[in-house]
Amino acid sequence: MTIYFLSVILSFLFLAIVLELVRHQKLKEQYSLLWILFGVLLFIISLNVRFIETIASWLGVKYAPAMLFLFGLLFCFAFILHLTLVVTKLSNQVLRLTQELTIRKEKESRHGQDD
Amino acid sequence: MKILIIIPAYNEEGSIVRVIRDINKHAPEADIVVVNDGSTDRTEALALEAGAHVLTMPFNVGIGGGMQTGYMYARNNGYDVAIQMDADGQHPAEELPKLIAKASDHDLVIGSRFVEATSYRSSSARRVGIIFFSKLVTLVTRQKFTDTTSGFRAAGRKVINLYSNYYPMDYPEVESIVYLKRRGCKITEVSTEMRSRETGKSSITPIKSVYYMIKVTLSVLMSAVRYDKPKAGEIG
Repeated sequence: MTIYFLSVILSFLFLAIVLELVRHQKLKEQYSLLWILFGVLLFIISLNVRFIETIASWLGVKYAPAMLFLFGLLFCFAFILHLTLVVTKLSNQVLRLTQELTIRKEKESRHGQDD
Repeated sequence: MKILIIIPAYNEEGSIVRVIRDINKHAPEADIVVVNDGSTDRTEALALEAGAHVLTMPFNVGIGGGMQTGYMYARNNGYDVAIQMDADGQHPAEELPKLIAKASDHDLVIGSRFVEATSYRSSSARRVGIIFFSKLVTLVTRQKFTDTTSGFRAAGRKVINLYSNYYPMDYPEVESIVYLKRRGCKITEVSTEMRSRETGKSSITPIKSVYYMIKVTLSVLMSAVRYDKPKAGEIG
């Protein structure tokens, strides 16, 4: 079994897992889109190695795999940045909810005493 | 004039009762709300017993989130002035009238240890930090501040609304001044005495102080270049 064959299988598996997660609603569609795109790219690249070499020569990259690493890394950074944006938004929302709840609870307990 | 005193408290059972009693003695017209930020001790029970209103957060949300809850409470209940005060007894209630007196014609009044010489003493590392931030805020806002880290403050209606919309989450004191200045608030400092803490310890440990310096500096600079565009759903 060559590495080419193996990478085709792996990228296919990766795509299948992502789609399966969406199907089971473990992963939101909006977050899955980037992963699906990533999986499809992985699949194409592993099917056709020429593709990568052609692009590398266009860009003047002598060692084609280096370009793969670069783009892989950039993708990871972009995705992690996106995740921290989501975390920021979520923590803001959780805080706001907590505050509203706390104020409401206090109001309720006070009215309970008045009655 | 409806006055609310906001006391954020996290495990302050040792000092909270005394703080509330002092306030009742020196500013009897003021209502008191203790923001109990997920304490695991008897802070809530003792504060209720002493006659304060208590907002109990279901878990610890940190000083910024707790303080903001107090301001939201002040806004919802139509208070004219909200005064924030520490639960550890650092801020003497005797000084409250000074803050209240100035609050009628200023949006924010900051109780400062350094406007005039007071008896307050601190470690040299702490002093360097205090001076650094005062200089930084003075530079950014073009108004002279001497004690930007002071948490002894009185806020008028405008600031109560602004703080309800946005309040920095950790180490909020310094950034919150710049935020208000960017929105055209009138801020002043009055000289107040401050005691060294009675119980508990400072939230700022040596390890955290480096993070503190960097985080607050970044927040201040970001706050200074942030465009004043209220987000959807906010009330100006």
